[in-house]
Amino acid sequence: MNNLTTVGQKIPKRDAPPKVIGAAVYIQDMKVPGMLHGKILYSKHAHARILKLDTSKAEKLAGVRAVITAADMPATFRIGVMKDNPPLKAGKVLSIRDEIAAVAATSPEIAEEALSLIEVEYEVLPGIFDPVEAMKEGAMLVHEETKSNVLKMPWKLVCGDVETAKKESAFIVEDTFSTPWVTHCCLGTSGCIAQFDTKNNLTMYSNTQIPSLAQNDYIDALNAFGLKNRRARIIQCTIGGGFGSKLDTYSYEYIAIMLALKTRKPVKIVFSREEEFFATSPRQCTITKISHGCDKEGRLTFREIEMILDNGAYTSWGATTPSVMMLPISSLYKVPNVKYTAKCVYTNNTYSQAMRGYGNPQATFAIESSLDQLAEVAGIDPYELRLKNANEPGELTPQNFKITSCGMKECMDEVVKRLDWKGKHGKGTGRGVGMASLIHVGGGARVYKSDGCGTIIKMDDFGKVDVFTGASDIGQGSDTIVAQIVAEVLGIPIDDVNVINNDTDICPWDVGVHASRTTFVAGNSALGAALKIKSQILEVAAKLLEEDPATLDIKNGVVFSTKNNEKTTPLGKALRKVHYALGGNMLMAEYFYDPPNANFDKEFKGNLSVSYAYGAHGVEVEVDKETGQVKILDYIAAHDVGKAINPLLLEGQIYGGGLQGIGYALGEKMVYEKGELKNGNFLDYKIPTAKDIPPVQAVIVETDEKDGPFGAKGIGEPGLVPTAPAIANAIYDAVGIRIKDLPITPEKVLKALKEKEKKG
Amino acid sequence: MKKEIIFTLNGEAVNVEVDVQWTLLYLLREVLEMTGTKEGCGYGECGACTVIIDGQAINSCLYPVMEAEGKTITTIEGLASKDGQLHPLQTAFINDGAVQCGFCTPGMIMSAKALLDAKDKPTEEEIKDAVAGNLCRCTGYVKIIDAIKTVAGGR
Amino acid sequence: MATLDGAQYIAGGTDVMVLIRQKKVNPKNLISIRNIKDLAYIDTAKGLKFGAATTHSDIDGHEIIKRAYSALTDATSHLGSWQIRNVATVGGNICTAAPSADTACPLLVLDAMVSIIGPKGSRDVALDDFFQGPGKTALGQGELVRGFVIPAFGENTGSAYIKHTRRQAMDLPILGVATRITISVKSGSEVRCKDMFCTIDSIANILAKLKDEELKVEDARIAMGVVAPTPVRAKKAEAALKGKIVSPELFEEIGNIAASEAKPRDSIRGEAWYRSEMIKVLVKRALIKSIDRIIRPDEAIYPERLW
Repeated sequence: MNNLTTVGQKIPKRDAPPKVIGAAVYIQDMKVPGMLHGKILYSKHAHARILKLDTSKAEKLAGVRAVITAADMPATFRIGVMKDNPPLKAGKVLSIRDEIAAVAATSPEIAEEALSLIEVEYEVLPGIFDPVEAMKEGAMLVHEETKSNVLKMPWKLVCGDVETAKKESAFIVEDTFSTPWVTHCCLGTSGCIAQFDTKNNLTMYSNTQIPSLAQNDYIDALNAFGLKNRRARIIQCTIGGGFGSKLDTYSYEYIAIMLALKTRKPVKIVFSREEEFFATSPRQCTITKISHGCDKEGRLTFREIEMILDNGAYTSWGATTPSVMMLPISSLYKVPNVKYTAKCVYTNNTYSQAMRGYGNPQATFAIESSLDQLAEVAGIDPYELRLKNANEPGELTPQNFKITSCGMKECMDEVVKRLDWKGKHGKGTGRGVGMASLIHVGGGARVYKSDGCGTIIKMDDFGKVDVFTGASDIGQGSDTIVAQIVAEVLGIPIDDVNVINNDTDICPWDVGVHASRTTFVAGNSALGAALKIKSQILEVAAKLLEEDPATLDIKNGVVFSTKNNEKTTPLGKALRKVHYALGGNMLMAEYFYDPPNANFDKEFKGNLSVSYAYGAHGVEVEVDKETGQVKILDYIAAHDVGKAINPLLLEGQIYGGGLQGIGYALGEKMVYEKGELKNGNFLDYKIPTAKDIPPVQAVIVETDEKDGPFGAKGIGEPGLVPTAPAIANAIYDAVGIRIKDLPITPEKVLKALKEKEKKG
Repeated sequence: MKKEIIFTLNGEAVNVEVDVQWTLLYLLREVLEMTGTKEGCGYGECGACTVIIDGQAINSCLYPVMEAEGKTITTIEGLASKDGQLHPLQTAFINDGAVQCGFCTPGMIMSAKALLDAKDKPTEEEIKDAVAGNLCRCTGYVKIIDAIKTVAGGR
Repeated sequence: MATLDGAQYIAGGTDVMVLIRQKKVNPKNLISIRNIKDLAYIDTAKGLKFGAATTHSDIDGHEIIKRAYSALTDATSHLGSWQIRNVATVGGNICTAAPSADTACPLLVLDAMVSIIGPKGSRDVALDDFFQGPGKTALGQGELVRGFVIPAFGENTGSAYIKHTRRQAMDLPILGVATRITISVKSGSEVRCKDMFCTIDSIANILAKLKDEELKVEDARIAMGVVAPTPVRAKKAEAALKGKIVSPELFEEIGNIAASEAKPRDSIRGEAWYRSEMIKVLVKRALIKSIDRIIRPDEAIYPERLW
């Protein structure tokens, strides 16, 4: 481990050079000859009957090549995890982002004009916008064909016996917390180009995070459109940000496909910033009732949580976030008895999907805020309470997670040390400190039938390598990590490694960039393929050098004998020798790594991941008691990452995730009024600017995960999981008020301060 | 209505017919096919479209194309030298980990360049002020500021 | 120009181009005044005169304005982003006449006069009378703002503008407060508490120490933004300040009077009750900042003319 030359180094990201000269091609920049431009007409109302939809004027506009409505799609075709979402809506619109028509034209301006010529007559219906109201007996049904607005989702987790544990608890706290819709704000908006060949095989230029699964989705669509047995190829452009926003396939993609089919031309749809705000799916909002108990010594006895999730009008991944929320609920700290139920409720609001953390930030906000409340009632310092209940290596959690490496205590220690916790906590002078920890999957996550990733490696004649990986790089640097691992194993300079990842015709299967799995899974996959090809190389070189392959190794592109320094051969020479010969061969190897994790059983128990990522965040804040504004004076983000394959990229994930977390905690909220988004622009939806960053320390803790590539675990999502509760806890320490509803705005703080003053 | 304008772009004279309703961003991306400058919002709220005009960092999405007449304009494509040698800012962004998805990068670099051209050894506050109008969702800005400091001599 | 059909003036374009893109306006013609030299001048010989097409960056970089008309620089340096400030003009900011226009409150407290030119000749209007409603000004058909005229203020005058925002850049104010204050010190003595402004002491304590100094308010202006349909002066509060000795009690009272002169409303950018509360806080803070600038001016400015 100590002799690593590439792994562990701060290697600059391989795809940075084209990006800094403006040469990287994003979907916005992509052009295909003969391409048409597609635009979508959205509903004007959150709930209405469509009485008339007349596209005739739009069709006649010069430059328009096709106008489609639901009538052009198979009537039963549905998308989304519950298959309740038709890409184009007919009859009724159930939310204000419902797509009701689309146009393909020779320019975006003509397409836009054509939209304004489509005549729609609505009969506006009363809408239901509150999930609590929508759950009630007799509430108006959002989907008429269902019996209830509560989705048939199985979210229930029971570990141990909570009722008995309650009776045996010395201290109990109970409270309700809520989190809003927030959105990804990728600088590069959503978009695709759909193109058919003469045999009706589809090519999608896309910035999806799930190329292999999207392929399945598109093939299903083609089948539904009457095109059986066709191929779908996905070519990913440079992706301008993901954060989970591209984890599902959306209406606009199927609309582009249908328009391409109708016009027999490639059709490009790219979202404007307005569309990116109101027509993409935000982070799942939550209402969480939580209760925690502990014994006299502060050992946790139980955790009980009930959640209500506003599912919106249709279903995407927001409805499955409870499966990830279960992670911290069952396994953040040692809690022997756990009960969790979550209800997803249809309303006429927008619908949610994956966003970095996938439910974990929402659940951890409630859990870690509640834990501080418990600490106060029990008279124990919040850090001491956490330490007492900290997870440890070798533990089996109530949800049957096998904890292997675990740096939770080390991370909390770092926070406490660097913040001067003992010196600053409990002063209540307007300045205070707070902390919160996290658990997340760090070794893949078996959320599907496969959690695998394939890698193919081929050598050329000179010692250079092409690596085809299923893993997509969404900007986090997975290409660089894969290159580092291959370069390390093969003993060649990293510049000799070329990573190809963006074409499903060429690259192997991968379930997708999610669950912070890429370093672990794609890394292990690349590691496996590299080891395979290394043994092939050494076999070949052994013949050349007349040595036992077991005594050979490669360094700096030269194969050498560990027994005899004189015996060396450049890698290229060995490759040419085996290629340019009668019956020759070119070296290639493949390896499909599917982590030895487990699907949940019917009770949601099972070792979801091979390893788990831990971390702790600590914050020092100052509260302006006159204005309610919260200033972050210091921020410590400590993360157990197993092994930092690339500390430069890793820090980037911690800083980036952390600032998204700060935005979530202090300022971001999508403001809806009767289902309509009111702040869908960068002025009124405020993500942090460069002037908003607090002093931040990213602390990397390495616990050497034995199943991870070179000991590594995931980091993609943990960066923003504990941010909000750490800040809420610090504010409580500073001024004695607790905000339980994100974001923590100056108004909420001031109101709470005034109420506290009134109470005396 | 179409008119002809002449201006200097990345050191070269450009003579082009434009529709007076275009923005400079539209001309750059759709007509001159220089897609390095990005459209992130179209409202001057994100800075992804930042170019340098007569030494000032400006949002090209709000800049009427006719105003370009007679101006000296630099885009991201004009930063590296003709023989491909990167500008120190470009090298620093690569080496200091300031690039993740890269969509904000061209605009960010142009704002930084405008700052360094106008000010020798800017303070950290001045650097933050200069890029406050360039939104980034990936990096958390820390390494971007580091990269600019590397070139400004503050590290 | 007065006869050009469906025409609209455009300077920096940061408002007009946005309105066009949002399809809120659709002018057939745009008349660019960005490059007209007659509209972009800064003259600090006697008082301050500057042209409507002066950009926020132009004002930002001007040392004399920063020192003698600080509230204006507070506004121009915090507006939007650097890219916006490089092209957005103060004239544009005022003529768009949003209740949140950052330069409005500073110019109000600096007693600015608006110089207007048009097809019927030129006229001057006090900025106080220039705003007539959200987005509405006193400009008639074809008229243009030529520039602004601000009087010279004496030694013991300081001004400040506080923009209350949710983030540190690229933000519209939840509300904004500008103040200008002229004080006189008890005859003969010098203000002894200068050092106290260097501390991070609470405002209440600073004010208590100031009370001992017996600083008398000779004149004052207070202007508030985003708490009424237009930027407004808190004239009752101003009158209540005049002739009084600076003290915590006085500032508390003034904050309350100013809040009573405002009519804030709920919007997605802020709630009315919060805006009311913040008037009280920000009026105090802006006045203290203004006094701070009198007592501890930055290094001496070399005047443009010695006589």
